[in-house]
Formats: sequence, C-alpha cells, structure tokens
Amino acid sequence: MAVARGAQAGAEPVSRAVRARQVRRREEELLVWPDLVFVEFISAVLFTLTLTLLAIVINAPLQDRANPAHTPNPSKAPWYFLNLQELLLHMHPALAGVVVPTVALVALAAIPYFDTDTDRQGEWLSTPRAWPNLIVGSVVGVVGTALLIGWDSQRHVLAYERWVGSWPESLEWLRSARALQGEIAAWLPASLSSIPLGEKVLRTDLLGLPAVDLNVNLPAVLIEQMLPTGLMVGLPVLLSLVAWRSGLAYTRRDHMILQFSGFIAVFIALTVSGTALRGEGMEIFWPWEVRPAES
Amino acid sequence: MASTESPVRRGIGDRLYEFTVQNRVWRSIFRSGYPNTPRNQMLAIATNVFLHLHPTRIHRTHVKITHTFCLGGLSFFLFLGLTVTGVLLMFYYVPSVERAYEDMLALETDVRFGLLMRNLHRWMAHGMVLTVLLHMMRVFYTGAYKPPREFNWVVGVVLLVLTLLLSFTGYLLPWDELAFWAITVGTDMVGSAPILGQPNRFVLIGGYDVGANALIRFYTLHVIGLPLLAAIFMAVHFWRIRRDGGLARPL
Repeated sequence: MAVARGAQAGAEPVSRAVRARQVRRREEELLVWPDLVFVEFISAVLFTLTLTLLAIVINAPLQDRANPAHTPNPSKAPWYFLNLQELLLHMHPALAGVVVPTVALVALAAIPYFDTDTDRQGEWLSTPRAWPNLIVGSVVGVVGTALLIGWDSQRHVLAYERWVGSWPESLEWLRSARALQGEIAAWLPASLSSIPLGEKVLRTDLLGLPAVDLNVNLPAVLIEQMLPTGLMVGLPVLLSLVAWRSGLAYTRRDHMILQFSGFIAVFIALTVSGTALRGEGMEIFWPWEVRPAES
Repeated sequence: MASTESPVRRGIGDRLYEFTVQNRVWRSIFRSGYPNTPRNQMLAIATNVFLHLHPTRIHRTHVKITHTFCLGGLSFFLFLGLTVTGVLLMFYYVPSVERAYEDMLALETDVRFGLLMRNLHRWMAHGMVLTVLLHMMRVFYTGAYKPPREFNWVVGVVLLVLTLLLSFTGYLLPWDELAFWAITVGTDMVGSAPILGQPNRFVLIGGYDVGANALIRFYTLHVIGLPLLAAIFMAVHFWRIRRDGGLARPL
C-alpha cells in the first residue's frame, strides 16, 4: 500500500541502492582472479601456518576435572566476558550482567540508523576531525575507566595512606562506592533502608496470591543502580556536550566516532582489568602478581 | 620469418598437462579453460560455486590489504577451520559428565594429532572472537555501515553475538575446573536479570546448577544449533555485500 502510494507520488519506492548501483568505470576495476583470490589464498596459507605453529608451541589449558564442591579463587568467565565480570564488581548484577550488554548491543546495532550521511564512506577515518575524535574518545574512555575502577577499589586511599597518613574521617564517603552507600544509609532514616513494597504497595495477598517479599533498600538502589546508570549515561553525554561546545565534534559522524572509540576503549580497559589485574578474591593486583586460581 | 623460429618442442610436462586437462572428464568438472585470459578468469569465478561468493571484477582500491586487513574474510576462514577441527574432535568426544574429561585426556595422550587439533580449535576460537571484533572496528572506522548497508551492520552485530555464544558454549565442553566455573560465573550473570533471569538460566543449563543437562545443551548448541544459525546469518551477510555493490567506497 505504502509502496503504491509512493510510486504514484513519484517518491522512491525502494532505496536508492536497489534502484541503481554506484557507478564504477572499467579502468578502476581489477579481476577477482587473480588479484583478490591470490591475496585471499596467501593470507589463508599464512594464517594456517601461524595457527599451526601456535598450536604446536602453546597447549590449550586443561585443568583438573570439574568439581562442583570446590570453587577456585578467583573463578573467572572467558576473557571476552571479563569486562562484564569487572562491571559486576561495581554495580547490581542485573545491571552489569544483562542491562548493560543488552543496551550496548542495541546501541551498536542502531549506529547506522543515526549516522546516515554517506559522505566520505569507505575510507579510513576520512571525515574531518575523525582522528581527534578517535583519540579523545579513546583516551577519555581508558582514563575514565581506570579512575572509576581505582576509586571503587580504594586505590586513592591506599596511595594517600602510604604517602600522607590515615584517610580522614570526614572523607569516608569518598573511599569507595560501598563506603558512600554506608554513609548514605547512616544519614537517611533507617526506615528507607528497607521499604516494604511487597507489604504496602504490591498487595498480591488481596488477590489471593502469596504475598510478595519485596523490600527495597534505598541506599543500595542509589549506589548499585542509580549511580552506575547515571555515570554510564551521563559521562558519555557530557563528553559529547563538551566535544560539541569545544568544536571537536560537529557532525553526527564526529559524535559516533567519539562515542564508539570511547566504548571500545572502555571495553578494552574493562577486559584488561578483569583479565590481568584481578587476582584472588577479585582484588586488584599488578599483572605480574595475578596467578591462575589454584585448583 | 616463420622459418627462422625453432619448432615448438613439446616436452613431457606439456603432454602430461594436455592429457590431464584436455579430456571429457576434466572438462566436465571445470568448464572454463585455464584462467590466463580475462574471459576465462571471470568464468573461473562465475562458474565455481565457492568462488562465486566473489564478483568477477572489483574496484581496485579494495584489493589493498590496508583497506580491510582481510578481517571479515579471516573471520570466515577461522569459522571454516573451526568446523574442520571441530568435526575431527567430535569423533573422540562424548558429552557426558562421566566421559567428557576422560575423553579430553585421551585426546591429548592417545589420539595421534589429537592435542594439535584441540590446540588449533582453541586458538582459532579465540582468534575468531578477536577478528570479528576487529572487523567491526574496521567497518566502523571506514564508515562502511552507511546507507544502503545499515542492515548488514545489524546482521554483523548478530554474528558478533553468535561468535561469542559459540565460543562460550564450547568453553564448557572440556569439563575441567576452568570450564565448569567459567560457565557457572557466566550463567549466574544471566540469572541476575530481573524477573526473566532465573527462568532463562534454568532453560540454558537445564537445571539450577551446571551439570549433565548443561553439558548436553551446550554441546548441542555448540556443534549444530549455533553453527547453523551463524551459517544462515553469514549467508545473508555475504549476499548483502554483493547486493550492495561490494565494499563501501566514496560516492
């Protein structure tokens, strides 16, 4: 129906790409055989050789037989999920394990629907300001992640106590997210630490169903959900705002490069932290102090 | 003129070549002649079911290694390699709690090239996660997801998820400490989702704890379910690249 109306009105019933392909002149062309097939063949041979060599030199790990009764310390997920496991240390598990990856994947998939300008496509970082945006996004991503992890792991407290003296009582709330939660809980009325939603709001017992045991701990909600959500949404928005006001990011492509580079940098920083820096008890160590779990 | 040239001497190699190539059996398999003319070179691509994933001619900038670093092709190559080594491993591996770990030990010590196959499979799997991630970065930084290629980027994101799931389901199969606890930690993350988390976790591992049911589910997903899905999405991915006129290039 929509197509028929579009055709009548002279609008495009199908997208431009389906109607007409991009023009390509004969003299710009190469034959796939041999020019492309050759490259593919050589890279297939090179990678087969390299991987075979790697497989001869390094054995895949095989530890003792699985024993559900014995939990290794630390127990870690595969490396590409350690970024999420790192997040898990700082926020509510539902947020780190489900909401963040889902939102990240949907946001990734949505990129082409926001950035539709086809100018300068198909060339490496060819739009103006591409490189500055990539560099700023990456640096802010890595440094920001490192600072946040450092703060929540009390690295600043350790440094202060090592070089200056004991951490001041008045700055207790700056110690870590958990410490901040404790301070908020002490400051708010105690009743807010356990709001009986199940008893007062969700009156399932009135419907003859079992009563819902749902007590909301406001300080925990604030620290485990509101604070990380606020940071994960607010900091990228702030970055884009600052980049926009300072003339660094002007077009949508600029903002995409800025945000994507930031995302990749955070992804890498979290993966490295979860893989190389987390040792026994998932505490922060230097990479050379991190040993595989004893089994 | 012609008399000054020495007559062409056909050596044993030439005769052997003619004997091999110029007969009905060979010609029935390879219908085009040796690809030394543009016509035969294009026919070599167009008349071969595997090679015809390619167009017969492409834009000259797309052959430069630094344009793509072969990352998409490498991901596909690793997928194929993983299929081959995976099938070989399946001959020796039984996905039961009693046998899985013993089979791994036997594979490493009793089976000729068993350890090599397992090592290859492991490193190719890690390599594929890497190349898929790098391929995504390449496509992003070359702006190759712009219209009309929007949906192919979405298919790519699905393939990234499938790659991670393929690797994750394979992680449990050795049934050693590393496998067991990695999957326990990983599926606990799924279980932490509000409302739907625990039911999903239950379906995924077939119970409340990682055990025999989880092993057979992960095995089935790993060797048939997810590879089939990935193959379907790859077919769509490659087909759309061709439909959209190959790689993106400046308008």
